[in-house]
Amino acid sequence: MAKIEDFSGYAPTWCPGCGDWGIGAAVKTGFQQLGFDPSSVFVVFGIGCSGNMNDFLNAYAIHALHGRAMPNAIGMKLANHKMPIVLIVGDGDFYGEGGNHFLHACRGNHDITVIVHDNGVYGLTTGQVAPTAPQGMKSKSTPAGIIETPVYPLSLALTQGATFVAQSFAGDLNHMIDTIKKGITHKGFSLINILQPCVTFNKVNTYQYYLKNSYKLDANHDVTNYQKALEKATGMNNERFPLGILYQIEKPVFHEQVGILHDGETLIARERFSDYDSLFDEFI
Amino acid sequence: MSSFLWKIGGEAGFGIMTTGLTFSKIASRLGYRVFDYIEYPSLIRGGHNAFEAIVSDEEVHGLKKEIDFLVCLNKETFENHKARLTPESYVIYDPDDFELDDKYKCVSVPFRKILKEENGETVMKNTIALGASLALMSGEISPLYDIIERQFARKGESVVSFNKTFAKRGYDYVREKYSKHIVPYLSRKSSPEKQIVLTGNDAFSLGSIMADCRFYASYPMTPSSSVLGTLAAWQDKTGIIVRHAEDEISVINTALGASFVGARSSVGTSGGGFALMVESVSLAGVTEIPIVIFLSQRPGPATGMPTWTEQGDLLFAVHAGHGEFPKIVLAPGDAYEMIELTMKAYNLADIYQTPVIVMSDMHLSESHKTVPANIVKRLIGDYKIDRGKTISKVKGETYLRYKLTDDGISERLIPGVKGYFYQANSYEHLEDSHTTEESVPRRKQVDKRNAKLPTYVTNHFQKPNVYGDLDRSEIVFVAWGSMKGPVLEALRSLNAKQKSYALIHFTHVYPLSEEKVRPFFPAGKRYILVENNSQAQFGRLLRQETGIHIAEKLLKYDGRPFFQEEIVDYVKK
Repeated sequence: MAKIEDFSGYAPTWCPGCGDWGIGAAVKTGFQQLGFDPSSVFVVFGIGCSGNMNDFLNAYAIHALHGRAMPNAIGMKLANHKMPIVLIVGDGDFYGEGGNHFLHACRGNHDITVIVHDNGVYGLTTGQVAPTAPQGMKSKSTPAGIIETPVYPLSLALTQGATFVAQSFAGDLNHMIDTIKKGITHKGFSLINILQPCVTFNKVNTYQYYLKNSYKLDANHDVTNYQKALEKATGMNNERFPLGILYQIEKPVFHEQVGILHDGETLIARERFSDYDSLFDEFI
Repeated sequence: MSSFLWKIGGEAGFGIMTTGLTFSKIASRLGYRVFDYIEYPSLIRGGHNAFEAIVSDEEVHGLKKEIDFLVCLNKETFENHKARLTPESYVIYDPDDFELDDKYKCVSVPFRKILKEENGETVMKNTIALGASLALMSGEISPLYDIIERQFARKGESVVSFNKTFAKRGYDYVREKYSKHIVPYLSRKSSPEKQIVLTGNDAFSLGSIMADCRFYASYPMTPSSSVLGTLAAWQDKTGIIVRHAEDEISVINTALGASFVGARSSVGTSGGGFALMVESVSLAGVTEIPIVIFLSQRPGPATGMPTWTEQGDLLFAVHAGHGEFPKIVLAPGDAYEMIELTMKAYNLADIYQTPVIVMSDMHLSESHKTVPANIVKRLIGDYKIDRGKTISKVKGETYLRYKLTDDGISERLIPGVKGYFYQANSYEHLEDSHTTEESVPRRKQVDKRNAKLPTYVTNHFQKPNVYGDLDRSEIVFVAWGSMKGPVLEALRSLNAKQKSYALIHFTHVYPLSEEKVRPFFPAGKRYILVENNSQAQFGRLLRQETGIHIAEKLLKYDGRPFFQEEIVDYVKK
């Protein structure tokens, strides 16, 4: 059985007080508690402060291009579906640059867990607004305040077909560990949006802000009730941030519906096809 | 006649392409060699479609200008193509559509009347025309019946026999009314060799399966789309997984994910889609993930002319991707070479752990050519999957994904092996794959990746092929990719005369080796570069990579491939 330290790579370079520290600890602890070791899990990192976890977390991984972690993960899953796959991405990365992939991955119900670091800003490029920034937020790229309304990731995921939609908070380690484990254990597309203060560049969405504006879903929230989930998700339009699993249902996952994977064998482990004559027939 | 050209045209949406392919397959079954070409606008209905096949006793590579048989399913066909007719040309048409004087050998067949009598649908005109064509050329009707049976088998015997009726009506009509016009051009050869009739896209699809490609991703884009359809249809049979992703960026990144974990993977697109993939080509370069990219060109810029042909993306392909990393570009000249080089491309991608681009264009991708089944079988028999330094076991305790080596290639461990882990890192990295910004390891990793190119040039670069007698020839054509066909056809006519002409044809277009290429260009000859683009892109590349400068250029960039006559006329003038 692996220890938490087995997942520890280089010492992180995140700013003191950054929410990423907590998320990093939660990911490693979650992996360890699920019985993983660095050889038994695939991770795809995006680009940003979140993706910089690539050097701090040991696993078979791709450190992808900005926005493109999702399609990398889909290919990995289709070629070797026996491995669990986790995405470590940021809000600009996953909801901005990679927004199209996000929508379509929800539709596909790919069995992949996405952990989004949602801090409302682009930290690594020194603080421009992210798509999740509250309307009117001033930043280097929006000196007069951002004109667009934010992306609402939970509502988007729900309406596009995700089968596990959750939110957590970087200031609550145990809640993150629990949510991450449940997300990975869930068979299907899992979105875990983690509200995360950027102590350096985001002076609006602070720890105090989230403590004030977030609430935990109560124990009898029915995770199978789509309308209820949507109601909770759209609360974010008015700065009411639910924490916990909003929605979770069972639906066939993508790779199980790919004909040739019905027998359970992975794509890479299959015998080589060799009956070429049968292909010639249609060209005669 | 050693070869003839048959052409059929009609309104878009009425099965011209299927009819044309049926004709090519029949000629192939009867023992002839065929090359065909389609013309169609980027429309589903309402435009003009045309298909032409050149049929010969010997291998054929390209089109000719003169039409020997023109089948007009409407008046527009005649109007569009009459400039290519001669007094010796046969024109098959319906006198209810238009009148013809006897400037040509006219064969009037009452398509509409027959349709009416038999209660047929408009599309069945094509079947009448096929029957009539076969009769006129002494072809047998049985291969046509056989193809109809295959095509409609699922719809039941009555549909099969209904369709056969139209073939027979056309066939019988010409045999009765035009018995004096009948020529023996399609009479069955004794013991015809078994052939397959392939487009370049079919050839890429077949080559991919033979090379054990397990994952193909694509977003439909003419003229590459039929690969997506073909491979998707073969999933259950062959075990390949095909993903039609949301956009080309997703396409290539999905394939890179599959390749990273060990599946031979490829993508297919045309110029616009490839433009979207370019950032990820660079990702493949630095992460050293193998990938085969099928790039079927069409005239650009932007949306351009989607259903026409051009060799306009060579320099784009060669230079695609930000930053410096090795890349291999191959450009097959015909369907056979497409199978051969596709199979090679997958090996090269694995051996060099870098992107390999297989170039095609509409002319190669959508034209059919007969290929003897035996030589394809020989290719398969001779093919060995070579995954280079791909490993599934580590020797020793430590494993370094990006270990420095003299040949530039490091061992690539299939992810998932117990006791190890590493990342395919898009950032510059150390040998162990962790990110670095230090100067020395940066320089060493750049050198390591760059070293792949000289290794390739030594081990796998293939010199150009020479057609004709290079020593004796004073005039030498230089071409790459799909221009092989038209130039070979031109050589056939030119070499029938006294003078000697040759072709130097490049399939391994990037990187080029000055040392290996220079000997093909001795001084004192007239070299003519023939390219289907306006900027002589291969000429520029050749000069850039080898210093060889070809001043004389024959370029065509109107969306059409060369006719052999255009090349012949050019050197004669």
